[in-house]
Amino acid sequence: MEFGPHFLLASLEGAVNAAVLALMAVGLSIVFGIMRVVNVAHGEFFMLGAVLAWWISSLVGAHPAYGFVVALIAAPLIVGAIAALADHFVLRRINYDPERTIVATIGLLYVLQQTTLMTFGPEARPVEAPFNKRIALPWFEKTAEGFSMYWPWGLGTTTYKLAVIAAAAVILIGLWIFMTRSRIGLIMRATQLDSEMALAYGIPVDRVYALVFGMGAAIAALAAVLVVPIQQAHYLMGHDPLLLSFIVVIIGGLGSIPGTIVAAILIGMSDGIISVFFSPTVAKILATLLVAFVLIFRPQGLFGKRVA
Amino acid sequence: MLEVSNIETGYGDVQVLYGVSLSVKPGEVLCLLGRNGAGKTTLLKSIMGLLPLKSGSISFNGKALHTEPAHLIAKHGIAYVPQGRRLFSELTVAQNIEIGLMVQGRGHQTRERVLELFPRLRERMKQRAETLSGGEQQMLAMARALSTEPRVLLLDEPTEGLQPSMVALIDEVTLKMKNEGVAIVLVEHQLDTVLTIADRVAFIENGRNPETVTTSDLALTPNKVMQYLGVS
Ligand SMILES: Nc1ncnc2c1ncn2[C@@H]1O[C@H](COP(=O)(O)OP(=O)(O)OP(=O)(O)O)[C@@H](O)[C@H]1O
Ligand SMILES: [Mg+2]
Repeated sequence: MEFGPHFLLASLEGAVNAAVLALMAVGLSIVFGIMRVVNVAHGEFFMLGAVLAWWISSLVGAHPAYGFVVALIAAPLIVGAIAALADHFVLRRINYDPERTIVATIGLLYVLQQTTLMTFGPEARPVEAPFNKRIALPWFEKTAEGFSMYWPWGLGTTTYKLAVIAAAAVILIGLWIFMTRSRIGLIMRATQLDSEMALAYGIPVDRVYALVFGMGAAIAALAAVLVVPIQQAHYLMGHDPLLLSFIVVIIGGLGSIPGTIVAAILIGMSDGIISVFFSPTVAKILATLLVAFVLIFRPQGLFGKRVA
Repeated sequence: MLEVSNIETGYGDVQVLYGVSLSVKPGEVLCLLGRNGAGKTTLLKSIMGLLPLKSGSISFNGKALHTEPAHLIAKHGIAYVPQGRRLFSELTVAQNIEIGLMVQGRGHQTRERVLELFPRLRERMKQRAETLSGGEQQMLAMARALSTEPRVLLLDEPTEGLQPSMVALIDEVTLKMKNEGVAIVLVEHQLDTVLTIADRVAFIENGRNPETVTTSDLALTPNKVMQYLGVS
């Protein structure tokens, strides 16, 4: 394939990457932003969402679309509930102390991972996409008579991949509206800004934290359900998304939703494109280098506010 | 009536209050007077349930408050204007007031009443709290508290760093609340303000409350102020 079509193909893969990563990282970012908790177990909530999506859709049987829709609703709810319980029984007990929450969520990471391994086994599990039509894409060629269009072999995508991108966009816009327009969003932001004053003004901060931690995990699970028809569910699949989300959240500015989304697009696209032209390892090395530069030259991230 | 009896509390292992007692009736202004670091802010925070008590009790109209979770204290009609304002900085004026209104589920009417007290805020409803001037921020801190339609108002140095006309406005609103029957606990370093608006003065010294006197008695014994504050 020539460079042009090849680049378009890589960009499409990158866009799917970016969409899933944006969801994942926004989940991590709201948990950090509101609770000041660095959730090392975030990748495991993603993994759990994927494995549950496989389990649920295999239970439902019937038409794959039917099982997928049930998984799309049920998996995030189950994962969110597990996270809310973890908040209640673990994080709250250690008073959200920054260092101890890191250790606690590392513990949670292994508990979730090993429990999944023991329950569902080590196999990679596929989930059938609800729809998956191939779309061939055209490319342009300069000939003697000007531009002409042709369909290069192998240049194409699927309706499902495009739907993932659209779904992620809809979810992110919905989340933004929820945070900035709804009453619960207002309560969450007040808690983020001054949790002690929130308490003094009648806000049940404990419940807000459980909700936020549950929401962060549910968004990761939702991302996983979307991705699992493209990438199989497996008990170790949480590591890469966790690393990339941390990279995105640091580059975007800790706790900033717009920054996180912009950084996810940047990292997701470049990770996709560089992986196609070079190798996934090179992509990760470059992303990590970028984090190093951001930390040196703009420690608050692209959109973060400088802390006084 | 708000009653604090013999409370001991502090931050972690550091004890700050060693058995403080006081009470305020509806329509009364009780002033807390004491040196920096005496424990006045700590006392107000413990009334709000923000610090766990080691011993002692706090009650309002006979109902124990210190056993309630912190977020329910405000619903009992206790409102707090903290030292240094502590607004929800990135939220707008309207949203800060909204948080206050939510405490008792109040709406438009309460908002209008509060904005009549502070008309300057009405022109700035969409402005972020952190971009307000110091005086406007203090007005908003008061407005947020009054939006809960409180029966007890805890004011921690509400006139700190304000120009005289702004001080007068805050004092005027405080007196208006007193006349509406709100019980008020006021932390204030300005002696003339204390003498004009307080009914009683509770001295706080090293986390204790050695004495509470009526303002008229205090006017007759100025050496007390000297004794507790080191000023005349
Ligand atoms: N978060 C905290 N952790 C530990 N100690 C604290 C904390 N806050 C206050 N203290 C200590 O408690 C004591 C009482 O402080 P407090 O703020 O109640 O004093 P205050 O009477 O309000 O003083 P000021 O007039 O300066 O406002 C001080 O010695 C202070 O250092
Ligand atoms: Mg103080």
